[in-house]
Amino acid sequence: MTGIFAPYFPILDLVLIHCGLALSQYIVLRAGVFSVATAGFTSMGAYAAALLARDAEMGVALALLAALVVGLVTAIILALPLARVRGVYQAIATLAFVQIVLSLMYYAEDVTGGPLGLNAIPKTVGTVHIFVAVCACLYVIIAIGRSRLGSALDAIRQDEIVAASLGVSVPPLHLLAFALSGAIAGLFGGLIALHTYSIEPAQFGFPLLVSILAMVVLGGRRSVWGPIVGALILTILPELARPLAENRALIHGILLVVIIVFLPRGIVDSLSARFKKNPSRLEPDRDVAAT
Amino acid sequence: MLAQQLLNGLVMGAVYGLFALGFNLIFGVHGILNLAYGAILMVGAFAGLVTVLNGFPLWSAFIIAAIAAGIVSVVIDLVAFRPLRRSNEIEFAAIISSIGADMVLTTLAQRLSNTQVFRFPYGTFPDFALTFLGLRITGLQITIVATVAIMAAGIAIYLYGTSFGRQVRAVAESERAASLLGVNANSVYLQTFFISGAMAGVAGVLVGLAFNTVQFLMGEPYLLRGFVVLIIGGLGSLKGALAAGFLLGLIQALCTAYLPAGLSDPVIYALLFLIILVRPSGIFGSAVKDVRAVRQ
Repeated sequence: MTGIFAPYFPILDLVLIHCGLALSQYIVLRAGVFSVATAGFTSMGAYAAALLARDAEMGVALALLAALVVGLVTAIILALPLARVRGVYQAIATLAFVQIVLSLMYYAEDVTGGPLGLNAIPKTVGTVHIFVAVCACLYVIIAIGRSRLGSALDAIRQDEIVAASLGVSVPPLHLLAFALSGAIAGLFGGLIALHTYSIEPAQFGFPLLVSILAMVVLGGRRSVWGPIVGALILTILPELARPLAENRALIHGILLVVIIVFLPRGIVDSLSARFKKNPSRLEPDRDVAAT
Repeated sequence: MLAQQLLNGLVMGAVYGLFALGFNLIFGVHGILNLAYGAILMVGAFAGLVTVLNGFPLWSAFIIAAIAAGIVSVVIDLVAFRPLRRSNEIEFAAIISSIGADMVLTTLAQRLSNTQVFRFPYGTFPDFALTFLGLRITGLQITIVATVAIMAAGIAIYLYGTSFGRQVRAVAESERAASLLGVNANSVYLQTFFISGAMAGVAGVLVGLAFNTVQFLMGEPYLLRGFVVLIIGGLGSLKGALAAGFLLGLIQALCTAYLPAGLSDPVIYALLFLIILVRPSGIFGSAVKDVRAVRQ
């Protein structure tokens, strides 16, 4: 499941890429938005960067910036109509968005190369670039988390109606979360494209969406370290299980079930709640999907 | 020609409807998005195939597939969902555990089938067709629609005509209140998971017969279609699921007939997106749900 990009990346780069994508998914869930659009933004960023770097011979910085902007703008456009719906509706609407983007990439062969994808993309991105990008995203998200904005996001996630009645203005914060998520996903899409020689639509479909979501939920949706831990585990686990050969995915699936059954709030959040003295932190959130 | 396309679309829609009925039953009663549901369809198809390959008649394949898929569905509930029910995290955690269950089932199927694509042996289904007002209706199509109709009628009688059904609806409304009144919630869980699994199993055999392919990844497209039908018909609405299944089949047939290949998916998902924005309760559902009010 998490081996979508595996044939193309060394393990460290793969972990970093997954960290970035998981952070993009994390920031929307943190704000109480059940969006799964990250895979869609990623694919758009990847195609934008690949086309600009290959055909317009743009430099790596500009191509990545363009990928980021593509993700950002798409996310803002998507967020405006989606402000009307919540919970499962948001999830399925964003799933529809991902499917639309994907099938248009299959369809528009003149631009995207159809099912074969884009080839001969100049490889200009290395491990260092991806590492810097992950650190930058982490810094932005931690900074937001420590500010008043972070408390507002947490309040919305726990109970949107109470948050609104306390004077938290919900729509701009949802828009912010969407925009950040789109920008991060677009940027990492660009990094994926410029790190490999070729991209194809099949990499960015339902399996990618599911595995990014799995990283965040498995790692934990509240602490910012949740998605990082989730990305680490779900990327390294299949590699460790390599000697098991054909039973890999089987073990992987069983482990997913076992981990979530014993740590239902995700690894980081379950463990940190267990070690915290302050019982108020143990209060369960009322979450978006419950509505 | 158009009428023929529409007819084929309706038949396909019946299968979508059956699949979505079971998917929606679990969502409506328990609020769980069961991402392993596509894999349960695949299990049903394989169970039916094995039955036929061992020389048993086709009707028994449906029964075996329903039972096998029902049991798998119950096992998934026991292993992956039941332990989560005590925590308050079931909505998100169930996504992960059902992904895990899906991986286990598809990998097992891949191992057991050696990644091969199987076919029902030639002549499994008698090849005959009726011609009616210039339309060609095959025996298989009649069987598909009839099977779906019987299953749908069965579920309607079960939910609205029996005391078991009343218990199911009570648990869907409020598990706590139902338990206080003496309803055994665990038995309701077992029943609903078995029934929804059995529906996916039968749908699996129908899909296997209709396209004459059975392979380990056959469930995924139906899972995605299941989401579409869930929304178009209204979350938790069973009548809506059935109607939306037919509608999706028709739309797909029309797209295939009139649009360039490859554009039918964008059209269907764009439609889904619009429906969520304009009428989130679905085009068939009013705000009132058959089994559950979605927003508590």
